[in-house]
Order: sequence, then structure tokens, then C-alpha cells
Amino acid sequence: MKSNMIRVENIKKYFPIKDGFFNNKSGDVKAVENVSFEIPEGEILGLVGESGSGKSTLGRAIIRLIEPTQGNIFYKNKNITKLSDSEMRKLRKDFQIIFQDPYASLDPRKKVFDIISQGLKVHEKIDKNSMNQRVEEIIQDVGLQKEHLNRYPHEFSGGQRQRIGIARALVLNPKFIIADEPVSALDVTIQAQILNLILELKKKYSLTILFISHDLSVINQIADRVMVMYLGHIVEVANTSNLFSNPQHPYTRSLIETAPQIFRKNKKKTLLKGDIPSPINPPSGCVFRTRCPNPGIDCKGGNIEMGLIEIEPGHWVDQCCANCN
Amino acid sequence: MNSENLLSIKNLKTHFTVGESVVKAVDGVSFNLEAGKTFAIVGESGSGKSITALSIMGLLPNNLAQTERGEILFDNKNLIDLEENEMRKIRGNRISMIFQEPMTSLNPVYDLSYQISETIILHQKKSKEQARKIAIEMLDLVGIPEPQKRIDSYPHELSGGMRQRAMIAMALSCNPKILIADEPTTALDVTIQAQIIDLMQELQKKLGMSIIFITHDLGVVSEISDHVMVMYLGNVMEIAETSELFNNPLHSYTKSLIDIAPQISDEKREIKVLRGEIPSPTNPPSGCVFRTRCPNPGIGCKGGDIDMGLIEARPGHWVDRCCYE
Repeated sequence: MKSNMIRVENIKKYFPIKDGFFNNKSGDVKAVENVSFEIPEGEILGLVGESGSGKSTLGRAIIRLIEPTQGNIFYKNKNITKLSDSEMRKLRKDFQIIFQDPYASLDPRKKVFDIISQGLKVHEKIDKNSMNQRVEEIIQDVGLQKEHLNRYPHEFSGGQRQRIGIARALVLNPKFIIADEPVSALDVTIQAQILNLILELKKKYSLTILFISHDLSVINQIADRVMVMYLGHIVEVANTSNLFSNPQHPYTRSLIETAPQIFRKNKKKTLLKGDIPSPINPPSGCVFRTRCPNPGIDCKGGNIEMGLIEIEPGHWVDQCCANCN
Repeated sequence: MNSENLLSIKNLKTHFTVGESVVKAVDGVSFNLEAGKTFAIVGESGSGKSITALSIMGLLPNNLAQTERGEILFDNKNLIDLEENEMRKIRGNRISMIFQEPMTSLNPVYDLSYQISETIILHQKKSKEQARKIAIEMLDLVGIPEPQKRIDSYPHELSGGMRQRAMIAMALSCNPKILIADEPTTALDVTIQAQIIDLMQELQKKLGMSIIFITHDLGVVSEISDHVMVMYLGNVMEIAETSELFNNPLHSYTKSLIDIAPQISDEKREIKVLRGEIPSPTNPPSGCVFRTRCPNPGIGCKGGDIDMGLIEARPGHWVDRCCYE
């Protein structure tokens, strides 16, 4: 069995809401609630959910870009939750993020070379020659040319910018990548190119990836295992083929049924009513019960605590829905 | 395609003059919209699908865009020749439009009552009270709960899905013959997207309007449309009935789009890729505009010697002649 790259235990992230003259705390945005999972080395773990489900917050919290309110994070079995800033900084080069919007995530006043090499300057004391060499190597790995290094971000198309973003993330030879909706802003033909590139580079650099997306069909193509998130909770986890062939949670089922498909096998569509509730004041008990197509009686009353149970090896689903079905 | 054409577009060309160069955003588009049917326009960004819609609506600034040649026939009138005051009687009344981003296309400083009534008062010559009553009925029709209360809401008080419903209510308030929907679900979450698509289909059944549905998502096309037009760089590549297009695509661009569209399936599939990027519209390739990315261009095609133009390969199935021959 492969060892875990990342393991997360009961992680929580609340953002306080401050109001009034004295900035008193009046409540919390409960972005992430008691989430535990692990990512084995070399895996692509897909994290899927709607906007406001807390997927980006979770992604940032597990590498402590925002401090989790509670819980423990283990990187290669070492607890990194309480590490000081300077200790954490040494680890930073092992964690990198690829962002969604390639227009907003590149500094418009820097040349591509400076964007990519900045991490090297901060983290690695290497001479200029080997730095140049490293940057030239990485730019070709992502499918661009050396000549591109002297240009500015505005001279590139969206797809090329995303390649630059990937080069920046990979230049330090990271171990763990968080890809936060890396293809959502791109056209379909470019989206396929970037997904393919991520898969190629994953092999070449032996990466472990948390792949965040709202698009089930993208997750279906790229992930080994999938977590479905709703209003701060993980409601279902399974390996990709299990999740898509045998979804257990009604939320997962509805996501799969309503995802627009060219060739749809199953004509049945269960539409969810209403909107995702506010994370400031989530429903008690099962957070999904206000939109559930057929909630059980206990579930409706909000009396069942949330928590994952394993229904078949490696396939976990929230206990409320596991019991309803 | 000869049963009751409600709208008939022939050789539409919309060009923009930018400094010295001319951008041929739409370069010879022809299609027919049948009564009560949904016609989808699909393409990547920069393919000219939105400009086609804006040309029909006469919403492009005269000083920049020249809709030079071609015809937009509606009600025995060529909309291109109409004076602004005549066009105003059609726009929002007989042909109306909804947009991608419901937050930016609603006016943030007016409540829904004002914004929806405005159209009704202008086109239907109703009093303020009558218009408000109709507006409430419209909100009810598009599935906004408690319409009597919601009518006094401002856009920021509504969720994304509710805003799009309000936009649809406004667009349909004068019972238009044609609704142009420009990526109406792209900015929405998947579960909300499914709700809006469902709503549009239901309203079409009830009210009988025709829809021009612009999207980049082939999955959505297959869910909603009767006919599809595939655009690339301002040109039409292929037009056919939806099921015919997906089952017998003739153009190599259409084939690539179908191949690379992410599909949910139980097995892992290889990610297929279409190389390259859409060329700049200021300097499009000569001959077939797709030839620079075509996976298997013919000899005549490669040289750029073949003029573009649709031919009818099967009844009702039109494809650019370059790819057909």
C-alpha cells in the first residue's frame, strides 16, 4: 500500500462575521465542517461541489494558506498544523497551486521568466546558469518555447497563460499540487489540452494532486478518486468508477443525472429544488435535507448527525442518506 | 428547413474596423429559425456566436460595427434596413434577449417591479398598475416563490438562479416570438443550470416562442435544441438537426468537438486533444478558416485554395464544402 501524501483529520474552517461599532462577532461562516480524508502518494483526488460548498477553502486550508479553525493536517505523516511560519516556509516549495483564472493569477508587469523563476529565487540558492536552464526546461515541458520567456502575460492566450501558471507551480519540483478549477475558464478544445498536459506532467514529476472542479465530467476524466462536497461537508467519497456507476448520496446522483451530456444513457433527471442554503445558518442535522428529493422522517426533522460511513470498501457516504436508502 | 421560418438570416456579415485592420467577427452566416423550435449556436470564444445574436438585435454600436451585407428577415422585413425607432418596437417586444451574467445585465439601482414593468409600459401601452400586475404574473410563471413580495426586491437580494429567472421574466413579459439566450446558464452552478434549462423548455411549451440558444457546451446543446449551428472564427462549419449532428457529424471541427467533450462514463477514457488555438480574427487563414487546426486537411484545403461555403450533404444537413470534399 502506498503511503499517504496528505492526511487531514476533522478539519474545520469558520470565518467570523464581525458587526457593529465594537466589531463584535455576530456569527460564523461555516465554510468547512469536520472534514477528514487522505490522499495517497501519486493519486489525483477530485473534489467536486457547487460554488459556496467550501471546496476552495478546504484546498487552501490543508496547506495552511488560510489557518484552519480546528483539526490536524499531516504531510508525509508529519503533523504540520502547529509548525511555525519559518518551518512552514521550508515546506512551501513542496506544495503548489494552479489557479482558475489565468488572467488574474499572473502579474501583468512581470515577464514570464521572472514569474516562473521567482520561486527558485526564494527557495533555492542556485546560480544564474542553472536557474536559466531550469526555467527553459520547464517552459518546454508545458508546451511553450524559450522565446516566450521574454514576453509579458498579456501577449498570451488563456490556454498559454494557464501553461505558464503550471510552469510556475512545477519549477520547484513540488510533491503536492492543488489544482483549483484549472480549466473552468478555458474553451473546450483548450480545456482538453490542459487536462492532458496535467496528466503528462503528473507522470513526469510524480505528483500527487487535489483537483478541484465543479464539473463532474472533467472530474470523471481525470480523477482516481472523488469527494463530493456540499455546504462544508463531504457527503460521498469513492473511487471514480464506483462513484459514477453506483452513486449513493442523492446529491451525487442528482449531479450526475443533471450534468449536460451529448449522449445520455439515462434519461431520468432528478432536479434539485431551490438554492444552496447560506453557510452562516446551515440546516441542522443533514445539511442537504432542505433540497433532498426524498428525505426520511428523521432526516427531515434534522435529528441525524452528519458523518461518513463505509458502505463498501473505499466507498463512504453520509450516514443520513446511507440509512434513508 | 422550410416549415414556417420565423427568422431567416442570409449571408450576414458583421465586421469591425479596429485601427487599420478589419475584424471579420461574423463572415457570411446563414440560417433559418423555425416557429416554436430551439436553434443552438455553438462555438468557442471568438467564434462570432454572440456577435451574430447582437447583430440580429441591432445592439451593436453603429460607429464601430458594420453589418454590411446580408439579410435578417423577420416578419417580411429586413431588420438591417430598419430605422432605430422601428427597431425599438421589435426589440424587447417581438424579439428579446437574455444574457450570461444576470448580475451585470440587471440594473442594480432599480427593483424588479420597475425593471420588468418598464418594458410592458413601453411596448404594451399599459398603466403602471396593470404592468406591475403582469410583472407579478411573470415572476410566478418563471417559478420565483412569493412573487408579490419578490417584485420589490433589488437584484442583489436574489441568488444567481433567481436573477436569471427574473431576466427571463423580463424578456418574456411582452410575449415575444423569439427569445435569444446568450449563454444563459454558463455562470450558474450545475444544479441551477439544470433548473433553468428545464424552465426554458417548459416556458417554450407554454408560450410557443422560438429560442436561439448560444452556448459553448455541446452537452447543453443536446439537452435543449432542435437544430444546431457550429461556428468557428466567424464562419458556419455545419448546420443540422441536433440528433443528426451528434450521430453523423461531417465537419472535422464538429467531430473534434464531440470527441473531446468531457463525458461521464464508467470507464476511464483517454483524453482526446485538438491541437492549436483559434487564430486571430484580424488575420484569419485563407480558404477554410479551420485548416490550421484540422486533424486531416486535404491537399486543396491545406493550401487554402478552397473558398468556404455550405453545401447540403444530406437533407437539412449543411456542411462547409471544404470538409465535405
